[in-house]
Amino acid sequence: MEGPLLELKKVSKRFGGLWANREVSFKVFSGEVLGLIGPNGAGKTTLFNVITGFLRPDSGQILFAGQDITGWPPDKVCRAGIARTFQLVRVFRGLSVFENVLIGALLRNPKPKAAAELTRQLIELTGLRPWAEELVDGLPIAVKKRVELARALATGPKLLLLDEVMAGLNPKERQEAVELVRRLKSELKVTVLMVEHVMEVLMPLSDRVVVLDFGVKIAEGRPEEVVKDPEVIKAYLGERYAAGFGSLGGL
Amino acid sequence: MTAELLIQVVVSGLLIGFVFALISVGLTLIFGVMDIVNFAHGEFLMLAMFTAFWLYALFGVDPLFSVLACGPLLFLVGVLTHKLLIKHILNAPMLAQIFCTFGLSVFLKSLAQFLWGPNFRSVTEPLLGGRIELFGVFFGLPQVTAALGAVAATGAVYLLIYRTELGRALQATSEDRQTAALMGIDTEKMFTLAWGIGAGCVGVAGALLAMFYYIYPEVGTIFALTSYVVVALGGFGSVTGALVGGLIIGLVQVVSGFFSPAFKMVVVYLVYLAVILIRPQGLFGRW
Amino acid sequence: MVRFLGLGLLLLGLLLFPLAVELPYPQHVMILIFLYAMMGLAWNIIGGYAGQVSLGDATYFGIGAYTTAILLRELNLSPWVGMALGALNAVVVSLVLGYPCFRVRGHYFAIATIALNEIVATIFTNWDFVGGAVGIYVPILPESFVNLQFHRSKAPYYYIALGMLILVILLNLWLSRSRLGYYFRAIRADQDAARALGIDITRYKLIAYALTAAITSLGGSFYAMYVLYIDPTSVFAFSISLLVVLVAVLGGVGTVAGPILGSVILISLSEGTRVLLGGTGRALDVAIYGLLVMAISVLQPQGLVAWFRALRQPKAREVKVGRAPS
Repeated sequence: MEGPLLELKKVSKRFGGLWANREVSFKVFSGEVLGLIGPNGAGKTTLFNVITGFLRPDSGQILFAGQDITGWPPDKVCRAGIARTFQLVRVFRGLSVFENVLIGALLRNPKPKAAAELTRQLIELTGLRPWAEELVDGLPIAVKKRVELARALATGPKLLLLDEVMAGLNPKERQEAVELVRRLKSELKVTVLMVEHVMEVLMPLSDRVVVLDFGVKIAEGRPEEVVKDPEVIKAYLGERYAAGFGSLGGL
Repeated sequence: MTAELLIQVVVSGLLIGFVFALISVGLTLIFGVMDIVNFAHGEFLMLAMFTAFWLYALFGVDPLFSVLACGPLLFLVGVLTHKLLIKHILNAPMLAQIFCTFGLSVFLKSLAQFLWGPNFRSVTEPLLGGRIELFGVFFGLPQVTAALGAVAATGAVYLLIYRTELGRALQATSEDRQTAALMGIDTEKMFTLAWGIGAGCVGVAGALLAMFYYIYPEVGTIFALTSYVVVALGGFGSVTGALVGGLIIGLVQVVSGFFSPAFKMVVVYLVYLAVILIRPQGLFGRW
Repeated sequence: MVRFLGLGLLLLGLLLFPLAVELPYPQHVMILIFLYAMMGLAWNIIGGYAGQVSLGDATYFGIGAYTTAILLRELNLSPWVGMALGALNAVVVSLVLGYPCFRVRGHYFAIATIALNEIVATIFTNWDFVGGAVGIYVPILPESFVNLQFHRSKAPYYYIALGMLILVILLNLWLSRSRLGYYFRAIRADQDAARALGIDITRYKLIAYALTAAITSLGGSFYAMYVLYIDPTSVFAFSISLLVVLVAVLGGVGTVAGPILGSVILISLSEGTRVLLGGTGRALDVAIYGLLVMAISVLQPQGLVAWFRALRQPKAREVKVGRAPS
């Protein structure tokens, strides 16, 4: 089996006296979808920020395709092949959907013509054609999230970090998003690391799951194993339920 | 460089440094609580100086007593600035925020020029005129008084921020606006107060400066630029930083003024660039 | 189609203007309008596109003016070469200032630009080689295009200024379609999102600022050859920086038509108050500028162009919510 695409080695990050991430280690393998879950405040977004260079870890290493990218600035990380979406959607206001995705495409396609071609393809793929020429400012959140996703994809990443894509979406929109992620994996061969709260979505999508609680990794493995892990149940529902509860979320 | 000369330079630097500190405390307070740089800070100072001057020229009130008028007056100006302008751009992009206070600065400066002309005025016979001997060297009594006044005012603000309930509320708002609101703090009141106190500091400083400094419409610019440097050096949002920074810049300015009067401000600005390059958060800055 | 026709007519009108109106003063006003429109468009690159507020562009105006004048005086160097070298100087200075500032928050940069303006003005005022506070007279040369000097009529200056403006307009139009322009706008819209897309924001801010500095300095070089006398007060004046910002902001930050519209309005206002109110009027028109800037920042940060757009298309963007994807 080939080496991991992304490897975290004892990554730690503290804010003042609080450990947001504490010696977190895990691997992400090429072609898989890895789910990252944990109760609120578990340090998931901090971890994303550390991986993508927005924050510097206090200790530990991040290896991407064998290369040490610890402490690299965000733009360098993106050029290396990691793209991300943000928990609170950050599309470029004042620009159209097309332009937003185009800016992503310009990374590996400096000539606007080639970039525009790639942009058109991605807009088709992500179903954004009806809104392509509209300004993102007034669009519904589900569409904005898709724009952010298409834009991240336009940078041609090997690894895509998705930060709570499902938040704020209604069940139908969620279904569409799940479909999209599935296609990312099957058609575009993009490896995905996704943070998610919505269990019904995460579990079926993920090949493997990593669970964080209070900054520490408490479980790792296949979804069906993780939901039965007593530590995980305790983290989510408290001590009381750990003993008597079969598994999480009725899955 | 004789010992006397050294004392002269160092003490002069500290004296004006205290005034810089007071001005900068006002600026840093506004920035700390609102996250907005008041580009009109210098013009607030200029207004205070002119107020003190006119009170002197028309009613014979010495600037030392005008402190009691200028402080509250500028407090009011600060409050009005917030209520009429700043409140509306709290969540606007940085471009709009910068332009708003920048526009105010331009407006006040040119209004002053239109109303009172560009000429230099001064309070020719201050109450506490003359010289005083310290450490075997002579200093202007107005300068020393101004420094003492500035120390008193800075001390008062310091106590307000760090030793009162109100001050704690201000600190909380500057730390994290949303959490402060959730904790029941009236953030609108905090903002208004920040502007009021911030401008009030400058009001006191202006009256004190009027005792010995030239008064003219452009006078605010130089003090404003100096206080930006002080705040950057001390750390945006830090009152302690404004005090320490003020003293350092006061010293830097007087020392370089000694070697080259024309270029003394150049040295101060170079300090600014150095701060940004080496330690952008300043000495006591939060980030 | 109508648009092109309208623009064509406008261009024709502008080209014919000096022939129809042979009085020097109106030509002078038009030259000022072109000059400030050009510098407003330059400001637009760093301020409108990249979103970094520069409040001291007079620095580069002055650098352009002095470089051209000094090189002509000392080395008999053609003003056109002087212009190019002035732009080079401006670029170097902008990079030196920009580099520390662009790594930190926007306020630092804004303050630094004001500070730089003061520093450079002070240096030139105290530097004997460039004439100190007295300034220098630009050597008088025989009238010709190559010498960039004309003594009998302002018309050639008019055409050169118009030509420079058109070039800068074309540059702006090119930018709006190029990778550079898109990256600038991404930085302005959301710096962190831009970084996450592989954009080195410091590098691009520096490029934007260098472009602004270069073009502004071209304006200064032109000014030196037009007025034939320069001193620190006339070329490093804060009022120049202010006017450039206003022109861009009033008209519409980030648009091509904005600075042009802004220039027309503000130069007319400036000249108008000067003519009507004489000396004291100067401060009053600046006071009005201040009010305008405040008003714009609070009411319509997008400037007048946005107002016009809103007037023409009251229902410009109707977002159809709830449409199913195809």
